[in-house]
Amino acid sequence: MTAVPLRPDLALKLGGRAIYGIDFELPGMLYGALVPAPIAHGRLTSVDLSAARERPGVVAISADDVSGLTGGHTGDAERPLFARETVVYRHQPVAAVAAPTLAEARAAAASVRVVVEPLPVVSDLEAAFPEWPGSDAAASPRVAAHVHARRGDVDRAFRDAEKVVSETYRTGSVHQVALEPHASVAEVTGDRYTVHTTTQSPFGVREDVASLLGLPEESIVVDGTWVGGGFGGKGASFLEAYALLLARASGRPVRLALSYREEFLLGRTTLPAVVRFETGVTGGRIVARRVRLLLDVGTSLPGRDFATGYSIGFLLGPYTAPAFEVEGYAVRTNKPAFGPHRAPFAPQCAFMVESHLEHVAREVGRDPVAFRRDHLWREGMATPFGQTVGPFGLPSALDSAAELAARWRRDRPEGHGVGIGVGFWSTGTGAGGEARLRLSPETLTILQGEREIGSGSVLVGLAAVAERRSGLPRGRIRVEYADTAHAPYDAGVFGSRTVGALGRAVDDALVRLLATLAERGGATAPLSLAEEGGEIVVRGASGTTPVRALLTAEELAGGGLAAEGKHYGRSGSIDESLVLDGTFYPYTDFTGAAHVAEVDVDRETGSVRLVRYAAFQDVGTVIDGPAARAQVEGAVAMGLGAALTEEAIWSEDGRLLNAGLVDYRIPTITEVPPLDVTFVEGFLGAGPFGAKGLGEPPIIPVPAAVASAVRDATGAHVTELPLTPERVARALKPNEP
Amino acid sequence: MPEFELVTPATPDEAIATLRASAPGDVAVLAGGTDLAGDLDQGRVAPRRVLSLRRLPWRTLDWNGESLTIGSTLPLRTLELDADLARRLPGLYAAVRAVGSVTVRHRATIGGNLGRAAPASDLVPMLLALDAEVELLGPDGLRTITVDRLVRASRETALGPAELIRAVRIPEARPSAYLWQRVRPFHDISHMAVAVAFSPSRRSWRVAVAGFPPRPLLVPEAESALAGTRPDLVSVERAAEAVGRHAPIVADRRASEEYRRRLVRPLLRRAVAAAGGGGA
Repeated sequence: MTAVPLRPDLALKLGGRAIYGIDFELPGMLYGALVPAPIAHGRLTSVDLSAARERPGVVAISADDVSGLTGGHTGDAERPLFARETVVYRHQPVAAVAAPTLAEARAAAASVRVVVEPLPVVSDLEAAFPEWPGSDAAASPRVAAHVHARRGDVDRAFRDAEKVVSETYRTGSVHQVALEPHASVAEVTGDRYTVHTTTQSPFGVREDVASLLGLPEESIVVDGTWVGGGFGGKGASFLEAYALLLARASGRPVRLALSYREEFLLGRTTLPAVVRFETGVTGGRIVARRVRLLLDVGTSLPGRDFATGYSIGFLLGPYTAPAFEVEGYAVRTNKPAFGPHRAPFAPQCAFMVESHLEHVAREVGRDPVAFRRDHLWREGMATPFGQTVGPFGLPSALDSAAELAARWRRDRPEGHGVGIGVGFWSTGTGAGGEARLRLSPETLTILQGEREIGSGSVLVGLAAVAERRSGLPRGRIRVEYADTAHAPYDAGVFGSRTVGALGRAVDDALVRLLATLAERGGATAPLSLAEEGGEIVVRGASGTTPVRALLTAEELAGGGLAAEGKHYGRSGSIDESLVLDGTFYPYTDFTGAAHVAEVDVDRETGSVRLVRYAAFQDVGTVIDGPAARAQVEGAVAMGLGAALTEEAIWSEDGRLLNAGLVDYRIPTITEVPPLDVTFVEGFLGAGPFGAKGLGEPPIIPVPAAVASAVRDATGAHVTELPLTPERVARALKPNEP
Repeated sequence: MPEFELVTPATPDEAIATLRASAPGDVAVLAGGTDLAGDLDQGRVAPRRVLSLRRLPWRTLDWNGESLTIGSTLPLRTLELDADLARRLPGLYAAVRAVGSVTVRHRATIGGNLGRAAPASDLVPMLLALDAEVELLGPDGLRTITVDRLVRASRETALGPAELIRAVRIPEARPSAYLWQRVRPFHDISHMAVAVAFSPSRRSWRVAVAGFPPRPLLVPEAESALAGTRPDLVSVERAAEAVGRHAPIVADRRASEEYRRRLVRPLLRRAVAAAGGGGA
């Protein structure tokens, strides 16, 4: 057995020395609590803080105390921090309090008298649009964004098609369920605003908070704590501005943290969608496609265009479309703002488009895998939006998946089904990053501004990039974190970008550092670093030199030789002439995955049990084997939740009915089947050594693969996620044994 | 979680005295706490005092021939691991294993499960089918009532204000089975469940259904359809029809009425078969 190096954060975490946001404390701190709106929609006529303020040691603030504070780039930051005049979702913050203990803070929050005159609640897409929106709907106040694009004479292509298959799909909302809830501890000293917070993006939080509080970015320091899981839910600012305002008002540090129930009530889930597909086929090939999307964006403001324009591309899937039309509406409802969730909405999109194309294939008498293969993008082809497809391992992954599925299908016991799901994602966003290196005779230190969020992308990924570039063993490489006042800029640990973008910055700095060493040592050929006699040495064509000998006295005294690197990525472009309304987005790295699932379905109860599972993942280059495998395993487990059990349920009056882990069901280890992971390498991306992002892609095909297997086992064609036993049972014909 | 005074009496008498001295609603009884802790945390209850039973000598398990007496504060995990339970009372073994997870069962108790009277309890339907009796200790001493009389409705029992559940007694070993349906197979709440047991002494079946409000219940009409030790498929079918006709199956946010009704037949057929009664 090969020894897997222990992760550098393991001892800290197991020893309780990694302090997460939810555990962070400052001496003399107060505890904060948010005062929630009692109903989902209404006129806010009064927020009376007097009873709270009469309590000893309590400070209370509402919209009157922070007037005019709007702006920001993420979340629902265009909205006032505290509701003013109207409330638009249940639990929307209307005030905040801080008190010496958490119990006192909660009691003070409960003593705030909030008067809201009810207005009609629009809780879901059906309530917003009982009929599918007509041509004038884009102007409706219910529509927050509208996107529309077309290529060719689509109506005519449908008229001429031999067969047209139309279907409607529905998906619900899923929550990130990070183990650690959101938590921020703020302190204000003079004009310096410091917030210790559990976040995937310290610099993003700094930018948001500056905008929300009307302060210059230089006056704000964001110190990322250890993060107990992000999954997209900690990608934007959330509690930081509230905590800072309470700290400023009280003159004391303030800790604001969500209970797990609040985590559900206020958390930014992905939101439900209804999708209509029409596909025209002639001679077994697709000739026309139409996709129409209603996306429930709750009360989101920023991000709504992106959500609609970006996700609708994933509803076409990685498949060709000679003539196509896509139209999407972002629909306002009285729900909280939506938020990203590991490859936001992409697993749902893949479920819908994969299930639909499989259905089309069956309707026209074609093998579903061969049908997909015939229409799959390949490197050098143009996407429906006219972007040239880059190196793309999906066709190869699908071939391997199809071969395995055929083998499993031959072996399977009676009642089992085998299915394939395909997923596509654009990894390595354009968002940039920078890193600083310092090489001493003993250690290569990578200084950067991201906290490890659990995936290993920072502590393992960045060190692995440096090891691969320099040859220096991992034990001599230290990844160091610093707050926004001391670290170079980086966009955040999201979008499968950490190794790809920040890793490129590390690589860039290391190449510069090696060049400096080469210059000093008089070498012309590339150098590498190694460990020898307890020290770092430089190896070149002309021999081995200790690093010590190449550093100046000043560098030796000052911690080593420094180098800086950066990477700001680029993405391609699309054919803008196809766009009729709104914004559509080009992709960066084309990253694919093909999964195979075997299920055992109870035909009477509708229960689905996973028997075995295999993932074929396009990754460009594997930078660290164990960490890469762990990402795929975790993503598949998480995807099984979206496939089978996870669903936020909202009442007609805008209440989240299952705000807790009893009725919001994430998978437990007993539901995760034996899992094989195979990496498809060689289709290189823009990351270091051709690596592609890996945090998100492996979750995408899961619901599609499971649905395909359920259909293979039973014939049940389920058009709604998750595939709960009740939904599967309903899709089964009752008289079938 | 609101603040409260935790009281941990060392004797049953002390515990009863504490209950008598408290106004109703002022005190909550804590056994394993796996259900109560959630209510406290969410503020659904805010008692001034919480009376913990952990020091009382009720963590007991006694086989008396074929009869089993389970102390009310015995952790379910201990009950589950008893060497004879799975063989003599396979239905109870299955029902215990249906509760929460192993971690939860290390704390959860049979007394807590009965006293809290959750509508989706996995233990109550099986205890109904086993004709279990409950020993209640109060200011006036001990009394014994059936589970059917103890559990009245959702979160409502026949316990007096100063009464505690001391033990649960199951009169005889019975071929039995407990089958449930859920969204997630483990660590979830059953949205439909069937408990069956065959009484060798009375030579008749007991059938209970559960998973929907207000409470698990026996369906005597189904019991009479299942004549004999090995009912055939036709009588199982008739029993399922009787359940459909007589059990007040309703929808809630966990499952529709239609789906629950659809589950009766397969769950009952499999339960009877698992209990040794033939069928499919």
